[in-house]
This record gives sequence, structure tokens and C-alpha cells, in this order.
Amino acid sequence: MNDMAVQASHLSKSFGPKRVIDDLSFEVSRGDVIGVLGKNGAGKTTLLELMLGFTPPSGGAVSVFGHASGQLPGGVKSRVGFVPQQDELLDQLSVADQLKVIASFYGAWDANLIERLCAEWRLDPKARIKSMSVGERQKLSILLAFGHRPDLLVLDEPVASLDPMARRQFLEQLVDASADGQRAIIFSSHIVSDIERLANRIWILKDGRLDWHGDLDSLKESVVRLHIRGAAQVLAGLSVPGALSQRHEGAFATVVVRDWTPARQHSIEESAAVEVEVESLGLEEIFLELHR
Amino acid sequence: MFVLKPQSGVPIYRQIRDQVRRLVASGQLAPGAELPSVRDLAVRHAVNPMTVSKAYSLLEAEGLLERNRGRPMTVASQARNSSHLSKRLQQVQPLVEQTVLAAKQLELSETDLLKSVRQNWENGDE
Repeated sequence: MNDMAVQASHLSKSFGPKRVIDDLSFEVSRGDVIGVLGKNGAGKTTLLELMLGFTPPSGGAVSVFGHASGQLPGGVKSRVGFVPQQDELLDQLSVADQLKVIASFYGAWDANLIERLCAEWRLDPKARIKSMSVGERQKLSILLAFGHRPDLLVLDEPVASLDPMARRQFLEQLVDASADGQRAIIFSSHIVSDIERLANRIWILKDGRLDWHGDLDSLKESVVRLHIRGAAQVLAGLSVPGALSQRHEGAFATVVVRDWTPARQHSIEESAAVEVEVESLGLEEIFLELHR
Repeated sequence: MFVLKPQSGVPIYRQIRDQVRRLVASGQLAPGAELPSVRDLAVRHAVNPMTVSKAYSLLEAEGLLERNRGRPMTVASQARNSSHLSKRLQQVQPLVEQTVLAAKQLELSETDLLKSVRQNWENGDE
């Protein structure tokens, strides 16, 4: 069995003259929970759709469990779950009927899990889909992607319409799904705090390229804000490699740097005769700083 | 048992590790005490399970926790004994440094700061 859930090499996608995904290479292993962050138009949805073979690449290749995404055999498709940004529910059906339709596609369907989640998430099986709120539709879309207990779960903005309670329940369910380390989960969201809880790896997409990818922990340790104290003329001429933003005022300077390592503190302090204090940043601030 | 702040700049695994260290050093987690399972802790706080297990593994490597087949992790029997005064002091060191720095920036005297520390200490006993 191929343990690599997704593999991409030099993956590109253009729409007309616009290059939306630009030469991405990456791997996703079982056990990974990947949070995809990016501004609107950064290419998140296109990237997820390329991985699942919904749209062909313009260059490079991407595969799921060792099979090219464009031609996934049925056996591989049944190991994948997807929650699209725009739901694909059938308006005329009830919740129960929609679940039945989807369940019939799969050999293995965990009816007990779905029944339990329907109750916990307060989804009425008898409700007509056309009369449901956007949030309820989103919950149902998520259930549809969960029921066959996929080995690869891809979610495109799954929580945008959920209230905080429902979002928390959804997050707990994702944690539960990831706890055995056998699944790979990839989800994009603008809700940075959700990604911060759940993801162990982060992809930051910027103009179709991976501006940063790696462990969330390393990201937090490598992008920091430095508070520097020293002589004003020293600070005015201070140049810190990897600086994302820099401000100074008299005897104080603040610099946000990437590629930080604790060892750099002493080298800055000694080379410039200044005092450096390191402040760690939350993911949202890091995201903003990387987009300055 | 834990106060986890995912939005903090301190990675979650370090928050867990530091809190376990402190709870063990202070004896609030006694040798043999059971820790919540990785899954329970992760679901309860809605955080990534691998992060929790990373913290537990680091604590195990430090000798603070013991892994038991089929049972929750427990505080190692030697844990408390091995944490001498100097080691426990080490754990408040970063907080002390921060406080001293803040006090200097505010141009407080050593006496002012110590007085405030003493007051807080006494309030904490009530």
C-alpha cells in the first residue's frame, strides 16, 4: 500500500494567461493534518481540485495513493472524502435520502457514526434540503464526506457558514478522525484559529506558490518579532537578514524576521551591541506579516 | 488540567510540556498519577493529536512520564525526586527574566519589585 496520500511534482495550472498554481511540489503522508492558508485568489480551491483530479494540470503531476489524480480507480476514489466550498446537495431530497444516495456509492458506510453525528449536530433526517439554512447544508456536506471513513479527507472552507458551537463540534470530529494517525486531512480556511488548533502542518499559498510550508510548530518558532534596544544611530542602520517588517523609533526597534533561530539572538547582540528580546507570534500575525 | 492557548505564539506542544513539568515539579501531579490519553486531551481542547503526543514523547524522553502498555501515561516514580530546587527554579527563570526586564523598562527599583513580589506571594496563600 502506498503510504503517501498525495504527491505533487512541479504542479502548475493556468487559466488563459493567468498562472494560478505555479510549480508546486509537495507530499502529504498519512497522519498529516494540513491547514491551507491564503488570501482570496491565492489558488487554494484550484490546488485542492487539482489534487482530486477535478481539473487537469497545465504542467507537472499530482497523484493520490500512488495513482495519477486525473484517472483515479474506483478503489482509490472510495478512500477519498471531499467537502466542496459550494455544496452539491440535491434540493428536492430529505437529509436521510441524500445520505442514502451517497451511502449507496460506497461499500463501507458507517451508518452508526452518521446517525450519532446527525443527532449531535442537530440535523433532522426528515428535513428537506431546500428548506435548510446555509449552515445546515454545510453540516450535511461534511457528513457526506465522513460516512465512508475516508483515508484522505479534503475540505475547502468547510466551516465558513457554521456558528461557533457547530464549528467546535466539527473540529472535535476532525480531531477524532485524525487521532489514529492513519488518515490525511487537508483543509483550507480563513479561520486561522481553527487551523492553529488542528493542523500540524501549514501551507501558506501566495500567488500560486507555497510561500511557506512545514510544521506549524517550526513556523511559530521561525517567524518572530524582535524588540531591540540600543543606540539610535546603530538601530537606524541595523539590517537584520530575513526581516519582513521593521520599525524604529529612537533607542527602540521592532523587527519581524523569518528563518529565526535562537542562535541568531547572540550574533545580533554581539555584532551590533544591542539588546534583543524575542516575542513569539500567533499564526494570524505570522500570516499577516508574510503578506506585507 | 491544562490551560491551552492555541492562538499564543508558543507552540501547543510546548505549552503542554511546560505545564506538565510545572505540575510535576510542584507535586500537583504525583508519581504514578495518570495523564489523559492523547485522544481525550486532543478532543477536549480540539487540538491536533500529534501535537499532544509530541509533548508526551518529549516528557517521556526527559524521564518525567512513563509509557504503559494499554494504559494511560503516568508520572514517573523518580520524577519528583529528580527535580531539585535548582531545576524547579530553572522553570520560573524565563518568567523572572521577563518581569525584571519589564520592571527595568518602567524604571522600578529592585526594592519596589521585590515588595510587589512579596505581596503577590502572600495574596496567593490566602
